[in-house]
Amino acid sequence: MRFHLPSALRRWAGDKEIIEISLPLDLRMTIVEAFEMLARDYPGIRQRVLDDQGNLRRHVNVFVDGENVRFMEGAATQVTHDSEVRIYPALSGG
Amino acid sequence: METAQRITPQSGDLILMVGTVKGAFIFRTDRSRREFHIAGPYFKGMEVFSTAYLPDKNAPRMLMGVKSQHWGSTVNWSDDFGASWQEPADGNVKFPAASNLSLNAIWALEPAPLLGPEVVLAGVDPAALYRSDDRGETFHPNEALLNHPERPFWMPGFGGLCLHTVLPDPRDPKRIVIGISSAGIYRSDDGGESWTRRNTGIRMDDAGPPNAPHFRPQCAHKMRYDAKNPARIYLQNHPGIYRSDDGGDSWIDIAPGLPSVFGFPMVAHPSCADTAYVIPLTADNFRVPIEGAAKVWRTRDAGASWAPLGTGLPQHDAYFSVLRDAFISDSLDPAGLYFGTRGGQLFASADEGEGWRSIADWLPAVLCVKAQVIA
Repeated sequence: MRFHLPSALRRWAGDKEIIEISLPLDLRMTIVEAFEMLARDYPGIRQRVLDDQGNLRRHVNVFVDGENVRFMEGAATQVTHDSEVRIYPALSGG
Repeated sequence: METAQRITPQSGDLILMVGTVKGAFIFRTDRSRREFHIAGPYFKGMEVFSTAYLPDKNAPRMLMGVKSQHWGSTVNWSDDFGASWQEPADGNVKFPAASNLSLNAIWALEPAPLLGPEVVLAGVDPAALYRSDDRGETFHPNEALLNHPERPFWMPGFGGLCLHTVLPDPRDPKRIVIGISSAGIYRSDDGGESWTRRNTGIRMDDAGPPNAPHFRPQCAHKMRYDAKNPARIYLQNHPGIYRSDDGGDSWIDIAPGLPSVFGFPMVAHPSCADTAYVIPLTADNFRVPIEGAAKVWRTRDAGASWAPLGTGLPQHDAYFSVLRDAFISDSLDPAGLYFGTRGGQLFASADEGEGWRSIADWLPAVLCVKAQVIA
């Protein structure tokens, strides 16, 4: 599974743009579980993508294989060993 | 760690730490307060709701409560006057899973030297009180307040359900007074083991929420201790201005003499007893200076009478508001006063409010101001 990080989050991953983690071929988990797993090595990513209750933060968009999880199953969206996860801060004004 | 612009204050200099909706700024001046030098912005694009300064002469530290609209809120600290800022990777003010709450913003950062030189208290939205025993690096919640039986009756205001005021008693380490919008004033006399509502005497016309019509939620906007009498507290309430002479057990209406009961900040003079300042705004539904004329009002007799101070402030076409943490005094003699506006001006007085001038005109909307003389 590969996590593509926006520039604002790379300081929490040693300036890496992409974090790749190896998973068993038959493993499935939710996107929130994937971020919790990522937190073992990169707690700064989990802290900024999920709130205190483990929900995706309101102004953060997470895409799995090109689809925004808000229009899939949200926090329960399934990911697998070859998922591409992209994190985008929402565009905002003001 | 974020690197940024550093200021180089000398012993005896004064700094103003200014939080805005798009970052923070630090102003430096000497005791004359004639020239102010600006540094920043720090935390570009983020809201800085709160600041504090830990005045250890050998290791002074600045704290800021920073909120990113995207990535959440943390307390950041700088041990080099803003040259670098640090925050823990996994955050430092967090709600436990069992609370079903998540942090929105850090509204108050208050050193509590009577509890220990390393202790900092934080008030947050949703309303909760946190304590740090390591100078603002890690925090833990006050469980008694988090699980308070009246919590279901508290209602958020426009600014959220914020615990915005934290007043550690200057004599009694077991006593802490807090203000929550909209719930009211609570006090602990046992070091935070329990909390009791302290709103007696404060007028509230509206009934409580449907689940507790007997509960009259108050909207305390800001409280300050009197300079000489820590049993005396001044309160700018949502509607009304009050004084307590018994540590919050009861409140006396001191609004007569003022042109409006509505406003956000309350400031007590740093050394003169019975002296406090407010900035009345027109009304709840029109939060701007009355008739477009900006005035600070001062009492020198604990609220028995008030007088306006407007010299140097705009006296026509002034339609800004001043938020609850955006008005502060310094500790010099004569006392300096400073307030920031939602229009981005920062006004200063070096003579106890008699005369004012703008020291910055084009800041983002100002959320908070703190003043500190460097040891």
